[in-house]
Amino acid sequence: MSWFSSRGSGPRKEQGRVQTEVEPDVHRSLALAALCEEIRRRKLQVLDLGSAVGSNVEFLSQYGCKLFIEDLYAALSSRAPGEGELAGPNFFAEFLSLPEDTRFDVVLAWDLFDYLQRKELAAFSEQLRNLTNRGALIFALVSYHKTIPAQPYRFRIKDEQHLIYERRTGADRPSPRLAPAEVTGLLKGFRVDRSFLLKHGIQEYLLVRE
Amino acid sequence: MVWKKSDDPPTHHPEPTPAPRPMTASAPTPSPAPTSAMNEPPRRSSTNATIGPSIFIKGDLSGEEDLVIEGRVEGKVDLKQNNVTIGKNGRVRADVFGKVVIIEGEVDGNVFAREQAILRQAGAIRGNITAPRVMLEDGSRFKGSIDMEAPKETGSGPSSRQNSDREANRPEATGVKATA
Repeated sequence: MSWFSSRGSGPRKEQGRVQTEVEPDVHRSLALAALCEEIRRRKLQVLDLGSAVGSNVEFLSQYGCKLFIEDLYAALSSRAPGEGELAGPNFFAEFLSLPEDTRFDVVLAWDLFDYLQRKELAAFSEQLRNLTNRGALIFALVSYHKTIPAQPYRFRIKDEQHLIYERRTGADRPSPRLAPAEVTGLLKGFRVDRSFLLKHGIQEYLLVRE
Repeated sequence: MVWKKSDDPPTHHPEPTPAPRPMTASAPTPSPAPTSAMNEPPRRSSTNATIGPSIFIKGDLSGEEDLVIEGRVEGKVDLKQNNVTIGKNGRVRADVFGKVVIIEGEVDGNVFAREQAILRQAGAIRGNITAPRVMLEDGSRFKGSIDMEAPKETGSGPSSRQNSDREANRPEATGVKATA
């Protein structure tokens, strides 16, 4: 069976200089705390766009969520060369080809918006809009640094207020440095519910589906 | 008979390594003795049935003893009262029903575990997991959904579960059959 691509975990467009591997950092997450407050109330359908992380599954289990894990970066990395430079609506529709009645209440986008071109982000947001209920929340982290790791962080939820950032590569790439206005401009149908600029140069967003 | 059945633990299957302690949001406290059975990794019973690496079964598998799959199975694996292990060489294209389901190989199908589903580091699932407890080891590959709501028992209340456990532990409850 070959449905898990061996290229899936590799770098998408690894570029830039290589840094020494560093220990994972633990950072306070204000948006995560706010999100946990929201999801405590009822059983939700959660879409995790990161890779499968056991401790996150364990953490979310306490809320009785139904969790869907769809590794967006792995899917982008495994695109065939002939599919074009940018992932378009067809790619995202195929990537999230779920039963028609599937609607998510929470989307964990982590830092993946930083790994999409602006046009890709706009196309992806359209797909997310189709798969979310009104009032659904997107949890996203956007970097203000000049560079970001060449591959997305692996985020582990330590507790309701802390995230562990694990680098998967020592290499860096330029950061798109998405401004708040760009985020809301590209994610049509979503508005910023809450946003927190953290000391380590990360802006956390909770976007809500209108 | 298209699978190997042995009273001794198969030598090519090392004992599963202890599962890492699940991380919880609250401060961890030592588990009291009665719940420790849920936290301990299930051990392969001395009366495991084994489907060897060269075996290919197309059809439904059901029975009343623990099963280790190292071969290929297409169809349905239905051992609701027993533990099912998809070994490192196991390739299953089927829905898998078990008490504790451990995946070290590849499963293309849905996994329903009455107690716990464990996806080991080398394991991969493309499908949905339904189990009250789910453990994904780092490095494992998973695509699908996880529903951690406890599956509904056919009888209501804890007694039906105790009864089904007793049923599973009956010494004469052995045998796995394949229905093509």
